Amino acid sequence: MFNREPNIDVVFRNGLKDLEVLPPSDVWENIPPMPSRRSAFKTVTSIAAGIAALVSLALVAGWYLRSNETGTRMAEMTIPSGEQQAVRVSSSPTDAMEESAVHSAPPDDAMTVVRDLNEGIATGPPVVADDQQPLLAGMTGAGRESEESLPFSSDEITVITAGRLTGAGNTAMPELAEVSSRAAGQRFLVGASLSPSVGISPQGQDARLAELMSSESSRPSYTTGVTVGYRISDRLTIHSGIGLASVGQTINEVDVFAGLSDYYAVKSNYLYSVETASGMIRAGNTDLYLTDAGNRVGSLVQGADPSKYNLTQVGSEIRQVFRYLELPLLVRYKVIDGRMGLNLSGGVAYGLLVDNAAYTGQGSDLIRVGHTEGVNPYNISSQLGLGMEYSISTNISFNFEPVLRYYMTPLSDISGALYKPYSLGIYSGFFFKF
Amino acid sequence: MQKEKDIIDGCLSGSRRDQELLYRRYAPKLYAVCLQYAGNTEEARDVLQEGFIKIFDNLSRYNHEGSFEGWMRRIIVNTSLERYRNRYYLSRVDDIEDVPEPEAEPNTSDFAGLEAYDLLNMIMELPPKYRMVFNLYAIEGYSHREIGEMIGISEGTSKSNLSRARLILQKKVVLLTGVTRKMVNV
Repeated sequence: MFNREPNIDVVFRNGLKDLEVLPPSDVWENIPPMPSRRSAFKTVTSIAAGIAALVSLALVAGWYLRSNETGTRMAEMTIPSGEQQAVRVSSSPTDAMEESAVHSAPPDDAMTVVRDLNEGIATGPPVVADDQQPLLAGMTGAGRESEESLPFSSDEITVITAGRLTGAGNTAMPELAEVSSRAAGQRFLVGASLSPSVGISPQGQDARLAELMSSESSRPSYTTGVTVGYRISDRLTIHSGIGLASVGQTINEVDVFAGLSDYYAVKSNYLYSVETASGMIRAGNTDLYLTDAGNRVGSLVQGADPSKYNLTQVGSEIRQVFRYLELPLLVRYKVIDGRMGLNLSGGVAYGLLVDNAAYTGQGSDLIRVGHTEGVNPYNISSQLGLGMEYSISTNISFNFEPVLRYYMTPLSDISGALYKPYSLGIYSGFFFKF
Repeated sequence: MQKEKDIIDGCLSGSRRDQELLYRRYAPKLYAVCLQYAGNTEEARDVLQEGFIKIFDNLSRYNHEGSFEGWMRRIIVNTSLERYRNRYYLSRVDDIEDVPEPEAEPNTSDFAGLEAYDLLNMIMELPPKYRMVFNLYAIEGYSHREIGEMIGISEGTSKSNLSRARLILQKKVVLLTGVTRKMVNV
């Protein structure tokens, strides 16, 4: 054997050191996209953050409800006895209107009303405590239930209605009873919504991306759909439904000509590709000849110069359109409950890509060019909204709610124009409650 | 030109564009390696594809120490070896046939006219077991013991295969260049 390194080894090692051979073009196409390592972590943390936000929202809502209830109780319990008024109320609106009565009472006497503040109104005859009789002796079953839920023994109950409910004229009481009673019956809602939005993209640092994005522009985005909801409590509603979200962008300065198939026999699935900041458009429509002044358009055409053919220009831009089927899950909390209410909402939405297309043309006369590679087949977003709800009638309301949405998974694998972690939109729609 | 680290980071963050950029930058060089080991374009194409899938799958393990190209090359070589092991059954040869070796070798300057493609074609035409050993020993720099462990042969077999590979290659070189004056016993 050789004691020293033979020259033949050196010849081959040096000769092959910098050898490069262009691999077949289809190798890359058969290499699947690499899953995002960091975004997987980000996704997990974002989902965790979303869940935490929802839980926080629910806790805040719960705390608000409890504190509101307690505050009212405390207010009621500290009204001077001289201003105390006994009220007889009923769960029935009619009864409430007919039977609601205000009795003047001796200053020293405490009037007792059995009233469930949470549920609005509970039934029960007026009970006067001055005789120190068992307070609930004559109450109906419903009244008993309400009483039993209070943290007092029957002997200790000296619950006084708040002034705002039993003030001069006491007209609010029947109204409240009526609204509460009706609201208590409206557990469900259905509605239709439309949410136009604009995406907020981070500024790309890559020079090529910046170059590509300089001749790309966002298209109007919107989400439309049907919403169903269930009212968990007076203020808290859970919403879901199904919607269609459309996002996209326009690639400018790409000239598209039709009629290439008359001149050029096509063997591949596509002839032209268009590099965009959001992925590579593969022009599956092989009748089209694409060209641009820059280096965005790539071509597989060999041995021919389509620019010399007699082709018809059909467009000077390409529109990328992506549509997602969205399944939202939202919690909506009424911060201000009234005819003109204020809502705080939060939740998540799962989007499934149902359409990925690139078009060219003018106006509504569009020609399909192909599709974009590298677009995620799904996305998960979280959203937070604060807006008004106007009750047109007792059954119908209109929502107008600015919404900030955060995409926990980007629309595109590529950090381009479609990579919009945030979007700002207006959620608007009509709801029918029943 | 985008920095290598930026491309790697882009790949790790899921950017398909950066993955393609990385592929376009290194695929030609790695495809040449695939051809060296595979012997034909069909298999080389499969090795390249499989190798790049492994590169992307293991990219997060690359610690930016040492040559990135070298790291990728090792993956490609290992992929080639896996396919080779699965495809070819190597019988253990304990008795090494004595291979005559050249008494004198041509000087490297005598091969100055050889193109890299010629050299590649010569390696590709070698029988698989000779090709593997020659590549691992002469090109990659592994020892016979390491080669034996890699492809499941004895050190002696590795040496024997290397000698035979060299002889075949020298013959081919002579045929191509006409350098015969210094070749003995070829």
